[in-house]
Amino acid sequence: MSDELGAVFAALADPTRRSVVQSLLREGSTSVPALTASLPISRQAVAKHLAALEDARLLERLPPVGREVRYRLRGEALGPATAWLRDAESAWEGRLGRLKRAVEAGSGGDPRA
Amino acid sequence: MEVRREIDVEASPEEVFEALSTEEGRESWLDEPGREIHVESFEPPERLVWWWGAEDHPATRVDFRILARPGGARIVVTESAPSFPLADLRARFAMVAA
Repeated sequence: MSDELGAVFAALADPTRRSVVQSLLREGSTSVPALTASLPISRQAVAKHLAALEDARLLERLPPVGREVRYRLRGEALGPATAWLRDAESAWEGRLGRLKRAVEAGSGGDPRA
Repeated sequence: MEVRREIDVEASPEEVFEALSTEEGRESWLDEPGREIHVESFEPPERLVWWWGAEDHPATRVDFRILARPGGARIVVTESAPSFPLADLRARFAMVAA
């Protein structure tokens, strides 16, 4: 799960890839030719960004129609991020409880004693 | 995206800051040896900001605000992953999915 989240972070840290994801949120699906027409980057660069998003499991390929490969967002693509939020919340709940016991026990004493 | 939690304690802001900002203080409540802490902002006793990560965690930013209150302090912690505009994406995703 953590590796997956790291891959999602890395994939979305790039502004071009964020704009690809945003255009998918608008359009539903896209392809290398469609993106090459709408972005100021080469076909090779588009293919590379799509591969990075696919590796991070943010995109999937649609069943092929003819020779065109189209991509769409995976419905569960944001799942790892949602899991991070839930884990971080429960981790801080626990840490703050321990911190409270530690500081209320005072600097002279060991709260675990 | 970020998470935010707060707690009231019966200890002074100075004591809280000490527990957050020193290795000795953190030993009493934070048992996560794999996480390396890099302090971004050190403003005793009301604010401490650090970055941390580990091999299996992306780097995140942790911002502590320590507010004085009668009889003690309020600690507000916000952990965020600033490079990841999740809220924005999720809002748009919900709109398209609807």
